[in-house]
Amino acid sequence: MTSAFSWIAADETAEQALVRIYKKRPFLIFPPPFHRLPLRAGNVVEIVGPSPSAKTLILIQAAINCILPKEWKGVSYGGLERAVLFIDLDCRFDVSSISRALQRRIIDANGLRRSSLKGNGNEYDKELFVSSMRRFLYTRCYNSFEFLATLKTLHHRIQQEKGGSAVYMLLIDSIGAFYWMDRALPTSSTGNNNNRKSLSLQTVVETVVQEIQRLLVAHPMLVLATKSAAFGDKQSITEVIRKRPDEKMPDPRDAQNKPHRCFMPSVWQSFVSHRMLLRALDGESKHQNRPTFSTEWLLPPLNCSDHFTVNDVWICSVRIASIFFIANLIVSSFAAGLSLDPQMKCRRKCSAVTKR
Amino acid sequence: MAPLEDLERDYPIIDSNFRMFCASHGIFTDTDFLLHDLSALEAFARQDYAPDKLEQGIKQMISIIESGQRPWLNGVELLEDSQLNKCTLSTGCEGIDILLQGGLREGHVTELVGPSCSGKTQICLKSASHVARNSLGKVVYFDTGNSFSPKRVAQFLSLLSDPSATQTNKAVERDMSSIVCHSVFDIFTLLDMLRQLMNNLRSQISFQVRMLIIDSLSSLIAPVLGGGGAHGHALMATAGFLLKEIAHESNLCVVVTNHMVAGEAGMLKPALGESWKSIPHVRLLLSGKYSATGTRITILKHPYLASGKSADFVVL
Repeated sequence: MTSAFSWIAADETAEQALVRIYKKRPFLIFPPPFHRLPLRAGNVVEIVGPSPSAKTLILIQAAINCILPKEWKGVSYGGLERAVLFIDLDCRFDVSSISRALQRRIIDANGLRRSSLKGNGNEYDKELFVSSMRRFLYTRCYNSFEFLATLKTLHHRIQQEKGGSAVYMLLIDSIGAFYWMDRALPTSSTGNNNNRKSLSLQTVVETVVQEIQRLLVAHPMLVLATKSAAFGDKQSITEVIRKRPDEKMPDPRDAQNKPHRCFMPSVWQSFVSHRMLLRALDGESKHQNRPTFSTEWLLPPLNCSDHFTVNDVWICSVRIASIFFIANLIVSSFAAGLSLDPQMKCRRKCSAVTKR
Repeated sequence: MAPLEDLERDYPIIDSNFRMFCASHGIFTDTDFLLHDLSALEAFARQDYAPDKLEQGIKQMISIIESGQRPWLNGVELLEDSQLNKCTLSTGCEGIDILLQGGLREGHVTELVGPSCSGKTQICLKSASHVARNSLGKVVYFDTGNSFSPKRVAQFLSLLSDPSATQTNKAVERDMSSIVCHSVFDIFTLLDMLRQLMNNLRSQISFQVRMLIIDSLSSLIAPVLGGGGAHGHALMATAGFLLKEIAHESNLCVVVTNHMVAGEAGMLKPALGESWKSIPHVRLLLSGKYSATGTRITILKHPYLASGKSADFVVL
C-alpha cells in the first residue's frame, strides 16, 4: 500500500518545469515592426485591418519564422523548426508569395547579394527550402460548413504529423470571410423546436470557437487570425461628402482616433487574447512611393504605433513613432545613420518622431 | 445539407435507431451534425442502451465528413501544383504583361476597375482574342451590357495572325469559335450559369476552358446591394467564392470588371464597397487618362507584387 503522502510527491521541480515549457512552447518574437509583444502557445491573436493592409503578409512572415530551423549548416535563422497549419478562408492565397519570401529570407541570412530584383539566378540552399516548405500545411474552405468540418477533423491530422508535438501555429486567413453568407443563412421556419440548433452566424461562430478551444487543449498552438475591418461610422451609399476648396485634408493623426467596428459576434471577441490594428497611411507618409501602414496593439493596449512599408513580399520598418524609443532612435541613428547597407531598404529619420 | 435518411443507403449503420438518437439531440441533417459538440454526443451515446452501435454510427459520420474534405497540402505540393497547372496567360497588351510579370495567372480572380471609357472592355476583348489564338482552350465571356463586339475581336485576331498566311479567314473563324459568349442580365442567372459551368468542368475533362470573363460584374451586383438586409452582400459573397472555386479547382483565369462611384472628397472609388475588396486576388486600376504613352494601369492589390506599381499600356 502506497503511503498517504505519495500523492504530493513532486514530479519535477519548478526549474525543470520552466525549462521543459520554454523548450516545448517557446516564445515567438517577430521582427520589427511587430516586435513589441512576445507571443506563445495558447495566445489567440487577431490582426485587424482594412483591405489591403498586408495582413496576409504578416501571417506569411510569422509562418516563415516558425518553419525555418534555428540553425542550418552554420547559418543561424532563428526559427522554431515547427510546422504551421494555414486555413485559407479567403481562398486568395498564392504559394508564390511564401516561396519568394522564404527564398529572400534564406538569401538574406546567408548574406549573399541579390543580383536581380526577382532573385531567380541566385544560389540558395534548396534542401533547406524544401524541408521548410514541407512544414507548411495548407487547406482552403469555401464556406462555413467546410471550415467546421476541417476543424472537427484537425485533431487527427495533427496526430499524423510526427505525433502531434510538431505543429505550433494555426493561421486563419480572414476569420470574417463567411460573415455575409452566414448572416443570410436560411433559418428553419417549420418550427422544429426539439432543441435543434438553428443555423445562424451566432451558432456557427460559437461552434468554431468551441472547436478551436478544444484543439488548443489537446495541442497548444499559437493562433493568428486576420480580419478585415470597416472604419468609422456606417456610411450610406448615397452620401457624398463635399469638401470646400479651402479645407485642408484631415490630419492623419486624427484618423487614428476613429474607432473600428468589430462585426464578429461577442463570443469570438472574448476568445481573442491579443489584437493588433493596421491602418493605411496616406498623403505625406508615402515612403519611396510605396504605401505605408501603421500598426498598433489594441489588446493589450500599448500607446505606440509603428510604421512599415511593403516591398513586394517583404515588410520593412520605416520609423518607430513612440515616446519610449526617442532616445534609442537618436543614438542609434547617429551611430548607424551613415553606414547603412545600401541593400537595406529601411530608413530612419533622426528627427521625425511624432508624438501621440 | 443532406438529411440523415439519405445516408442510410450507403452506410447501413446509420439506421433508424441512430437517427432517433440523433433526433433526440436535434440533429436531422449532416450540417446539424457539424454544429453539434461531438464529445458530448459520444458521452450521451455511451449512456444509451445500445452504446456500441451508436458509437460506431458517430464514427461513421466522422469518417464521412473526413472523406468529403479537401486534403491538406504541404508547401512543396502547392508549389508543384502551381508550376504544373497554373500558367500565365498573356493579355496581348505588353505594358500589362510586364507589370504583372507575365500576364494574367490561372487560378486568380482579376478585377479591372476604372471609370467609364477607360478601356476595361477593350482589355477583356483583347485578352479573349489573345487566349483564343494562343492557347488550346475556350474562352467563356459573360456579357452584361451588350458590349461584346465580334467585329472588334475579329480585328484583334486578324492583327495577330501572320499577314503572309493565306488562310487568315479560316484561322480567325476557328479562333472565334473558341470564344463562347452569353448574355447575363441578373445575378441569379449568373449564379446559375456559374454552377452549371463548374459542374461541366468537373465532369468533362475534354471541355477545357482557359479564361472566364464577366463584363461587367458590378452592374449585376450593384442593384442588389444596399438597403438594410444582408441578402445583397450574401449574393455578392456567394458569387465571389464561386468564382474563386472555379478559378482554383479548374485552373481558369477569371477576369471581372467593376465601375467607379463617387467617394470621399469628390474622388472616385471602386464600386461594390468594402466587403468586395477582399474577394478578388488581383485588383488593377485603370486611370482613364490618355497620354502619349497610353493609359495608366496601377496595381491596387496583388498576392506577391507590391501595390502602387503602375505601367502604361496601349490597346492596339
